[in-house]
Amino acid sequence: MPVTRSLGCAAVLLAAIALPSGAQARPTDGYHTAARLGAVLDSIARAKPALVKVSTLATSPGRRPVHAVRIGGAEEKPALLILAGAYGPQVSSSEVALRIVRDLARRHGSDQTVTQLLASNTVYVIPRLNPDAGEAYFGALRWERKGNDTAFDDDRDNVTDEDSPDDLNRDGMITMMRVKSPNGEWMPDAIDPSILRRADATKGERGIYEVFMEGRDDDGDEAYNEDAAGGTDISRNFANNFRFFGENSGLHPFSAEESRAVAEFVSTHDDIAAVYVLGMQDNLLKPWEGRRVPGIGGSPQGTSAGGPFTASLPEDNGWFTEVARRYRTTTGMTEGPATASDVGDPLSWAYFHMGRFAFGSRVWWPGKAAADTTRGRRAPTPDTIAAERNDYRFLKANRPEAFVEWTAVPGMTINGEAVEVGGVAPFATLNPPGSELDSLAAKHTAFVVELTGLLPAVTVPRVNVTEISPRVYRIRADVQNDRYLPSNAALGVRSRLPMRARVELTLGRDQSLSGGRKMQFINALRGSGGTETFEWVVVGAPGSTVTLTVGSPHAGLTTQTITLRAR
Amino acid sequence: MLQRSKSIAPSLGAFLAAAVLVASPLSAPLAAQQIRSAPPVARATQVPVAGALAALGSPPNPKVAVSWDRFYDHAGLMEIGRRLAAAHPNRIKLGTIGRSTQGRDMFLLTVTNFNVGDADKKPAMWIDGNIHANEIQGAEFSLYTAWYLSEMADRVPAVDSLLDKYTFYIVPSINPDGRDHYFHEPNNASSPRTGLAPRDSDGDGRVDEDGLDDLNGDGHVTQMRRRNVNGRWRVSPEDPRLLVPILPGEQGEYDLLGAEGIDNDGDGVVGEDGPGVYDPNRNWPWRWAPQYVQGGADRYPGSLIETRNIMDFVIAHPNIAGAQSYHNSGGMLLRGPGVPQDEYRPQDVQVYDQIGRVGEEILPGYRYMIVWKDLYTVWGGELDWFYGARGILTFSNELWTPFLYFYKAPAGGGGFGGGNAQNRQYQSTESRFNRLLLMGEAMVEWTEVDHPQFGKVEVGGTKKNFGRVEPGFMLQSDGHRNMMFTLYQTSQMPLVEVDSVTTRSLGGGLTEVTAVVVNRRVAPTHTQQDVENRISRPNLISLTGGRVVAGFVIDNPLNGDATEQKRDPANIRVANIPGQGIVRVKWIVSGTGTFTVTADSQKGGVSTMRSR
Repeated sequence: MPVTRSLGCAAVLLAAIALPSGAQARPTDGYHTAARLGAVLDSIARAKPALVKVSTLATSPGRRPVHAVRIGGAEEKPALLILAGAYGPQVSSSEVALRIVRDLARRHGSDQTVTQLLASNTVYVIPRLNPDAGEAYFGALRWERKGNDTAFDDDRDNVTDEDSPDDLNRDGMITMMRVKSPNGEWMPDAIDPSILRRADATKGERGIYEVFMEGRDDDGDEAYNEDAAGGTDISRNFANNFRFFGENSGLHPFSAEESRAVAEFVSTHDDIAAVYVLGMQDNLLKPWEGRRVPGIGGSPQGTSAGGPFTASLPEDNGWFTEVARRYRTTTGMTEGPATASDVGDPLSWAYFHMGRFAFGSRVWWPGKAAADTTRGRRAPTPDTIAAERNDYRFLKANRPEAFVEWTAVPGMTINGEAVEVGGVAPFATLNPPGSELDSLAAKHTAFVVELTGLLPAVTVPRVNVTEISPRVYRIRADVQNDRYLPSNAALGVRSRLPMRARVELTLGRDQSLSGGRKMQFINALRGSGGTETFEWVVVGAPGSTVTLTVGSPHAGLTTQTITLRAR
Repeated sequence: MLQRSKSIAPSLGAFLAAAVLVASPLSAPLAAQQIRSAPPVARATQVPVAGALAALGSPPNPKVAVSWDRFYDHAGLMEIGRRLAAAHPNRIKLGTIGRSTQGRDMFLLTVTNFNVGDADKKPAMWIDGNIHANEIQGAEFSLYTAWYLSEMADRVPAVDSLLDKYTFYIVPSINPDGRDHYFHEPNNASSPRTGLAPRDSDGDGRVDEDGLDDLNGDGHVTQMRRRNVNGRWRVSPEDPRLLVPILPGEQGEYDLLGAEGIDNDGDGVVGEDGPGVYDPNRNWPWRWAPQYVQGGADRYPGSLIETRNIMDFVIAHPNIAGAQSYHNSGGMLLRGPGVPQDEYRPQDVQVYDQIGRVGEEILPGYRYMIVWKDLYTVWGGELDWFYGARGILTFSNELWTPFLYFYKAPAGGGGFGGGNAQNRQYQSTESRFNRLLLMGEAMVEWTEVDHPQFGKVEVGGTKKNFGRVEPGFMLQSDGHRNMMFTLYQTSQMPLVEVDSVTTRSLGGGLTEVTAVVVNRRVAPTHTQQDVENRISRPNLISLTGGRVVAGFVIDNPLNGDATEQKRDPANIRVANIPGQGIVRVKWIVSGTGTFTVTADSQKGGVSTMRSR
């Protein structure tokens, strides 16, 4: 059971996110530890108690709360769910989610668009799904930890968490290490020698280096950092395309309380119409690329023999495409990094298992660097590391502190060869400087406002009652979807999630139904004014009334009283 | 009480205070005619007359007298469990793996010889039953296993041998909420299949608002019929209470209007949203698929507390090497995979085949089958999670087969599929059995009732305890045979033994120590599924008593090929000891004298031997 935090009347602390001024910026400036994240959420809820509620969905193995924020008051309305922070190193996603909460709360009451939107819709935000891993961002030793605090024997040697990375060069962070070796498969890139790329033996290239995460072989098993502290990567612990026995994926889908709490939350919130995931998967700048593979014996997907769908349904793709177009227009973000594979991730799960329209953004990424004009350096074709090379160049130009030059660790050798440590600083490709978070979040907030305005809204614009003969009436009602998105995705229709809009006619005691059905369901009411018409023949006294209930929690539920009389 | 199992000591303690009651037979809630009996509390009755000669296979004067010719609700099952644990403290301990949705204990009987070894380190067999609420007898059969093993201990050496070497984790009912609903609420043979977590099955925003109803108040949910000369059903010439489908050229007499019930929520449909309504055996994380592929899957894998309780226990007990989950019906010894997209490793299939074929001999009328291939596709089934995610050899027996009506394959294909003519033949077999062996007790007379939506209808037909469960006089027999199959499987679970430890001086104070470790059973210490995915840790063969200089696995004893293990050579890691297989290891040890070799296998037990 979520525990609702008690509301106080403490001072408004909406400014708590502001950066400290002066002094050199630290990577943690503008970012929030789990404790501070909770405190800021509480302060927002205290400032707007009628609008914002904060509850605790789950407690991580490290005893940190997973918060859920409800914005829009207690009434049930079509809702957008925002998920963030499932992949620990991407702390920026949590920071953006937090600022979305702050900005919506702040604008409610003064900004007409937001005020109206929150009167007709709810926005749920779960800002940090993996608080244990996220906390590594703030540690004395900074490294991109993915797992929560569940102890796990990654290398199955019956010893747990015995070989974590080590800070060999004592710079307070874990980068990479390289060692010259005849077994090496890596070589310096010709254009930017600080980048290592895999040698292509078919082109006659020969590797020079072995490459590892920075660290020692703490347990003497001839492997480096193969059983680091931490267990489950929440961004790989969801059920769609879950990879059993995969790295940090957990023992089975939803083995982690953090992810299972989300599954339970969505399962019990029929008001959720769509999901926006701030994470490592993107289907907004590049559409999902899944392909339909026929099942055994050629059975079509979506059947018992054919198995689950691996590609979004064609009927849904038009809606995805248009929302993606609006995302680009609203945020100005038009080019981004490739999506991470949809393996156990929350985004593909929200669509393929929970039937929701689900949209994923990579949140932030290094921008396009100026072209390298150094003469005589040509990228190979095909250029397998173009994106990486761009990131390096961008970081070196804009955040020199985010790159560590390769330097030998004094006194340390492996098989007689020097050990060099270097590469991109942890977190640097996923998280902007704190000073950029507010403007970044403003873009995402704008998209959230736009997307929430697209959620389905089922209405009954027209009801006609015709007297066929005294005491016999024909009722005709139009049911319409006023907003953009259909009342259900085609996949949701198949999975019956969320529940379809119902059309229910309730009669009085001395009335009877001669034609039509008391309870009917609409599979999917097309957006932008899609209409279906229903008819009933009712026998009853003139002037008596029947009740028509139409809709569903996620598409809006309306009730009309209809009087039996000639019109 | 077991490690990791949550204690239910208070109730056990309360019982121990009155432990002398052990010999009083229990009343059962589902005796043939008496559906709504008194709650099955301990009731002091007469001590059974002592037996003068043991009938083979049964204890003549058991410490805990249990009548196996009836069915027990959850409280009854647990009471028997309490009595067994109290009467056999060195053989049975009572625990729980957690609570059900409605708060019933999913009680656990750990059965082993507690005087020998550590129960949680011996190779273990998991046994459960009743995952589907209406498939009740798996619970009695599971409980019968605990009873048989404990009562026959110290009498039959093979039983003692099993209990010395192996541990049984038995959870008789893993769907106790659904079980009690089946017993105490109006139901038919197919209802409920689900557990009782509330669900809005028809998507109308209301939860569990329209289930089945007992219209004539006789304690049964049967069928509703209405006279109609154009209907598709007529009265059987063999039994006036039985309706049969018409054949070409025949005139109909009745419409069948479905299972007994009314439209409780006024939506125009009868009985469309009963309690729960999902399938607990489609909720498991391995090869789970959403509702549009697999009906009853529920909303996410492991969404049910009962599923999670079992998963948590099994993960915490890596000594579980084999498993049985009892269902009904049809006479099947099922193994996975549940879906054609999945694959069982060939090495493991060999082991399954060897055990399954013996099972067909133990259980006449039962067939060894593969779920997707020979039955139907199942996404997210329990046995697939046990094998796929945990590498555990698992069978599911579909208890009771119409073969047992007259000890021959029934006419009409056993009621599976087929057209009207075949169904008539099968109905005829059932009807003859009912008349010739049950005095016709399986049917309820048709009586007229006023139905609020349909007007006057007749209610009657087959009772819920006919067709899917054994009649009383056959229960113990079928239970015993199924148990013996499961005990046979247990006897073939891996068991490592250090077979020999020999030494040879290498001079200069060095000794070569060679150990031979065997597994004489059919099952390997690690299934291939386990080996490939490194699910459980490797076997450890360890030497103590000297300083180990180097350690090796001997690859070929004929030519002496050996592979060195550089790291931690005193503890040689062996990924698997195959069924009926041998592993040889050797060490170079600094020192002379006596050395001790221990083979420690999570699923194969622990064995120790000293060099001579």
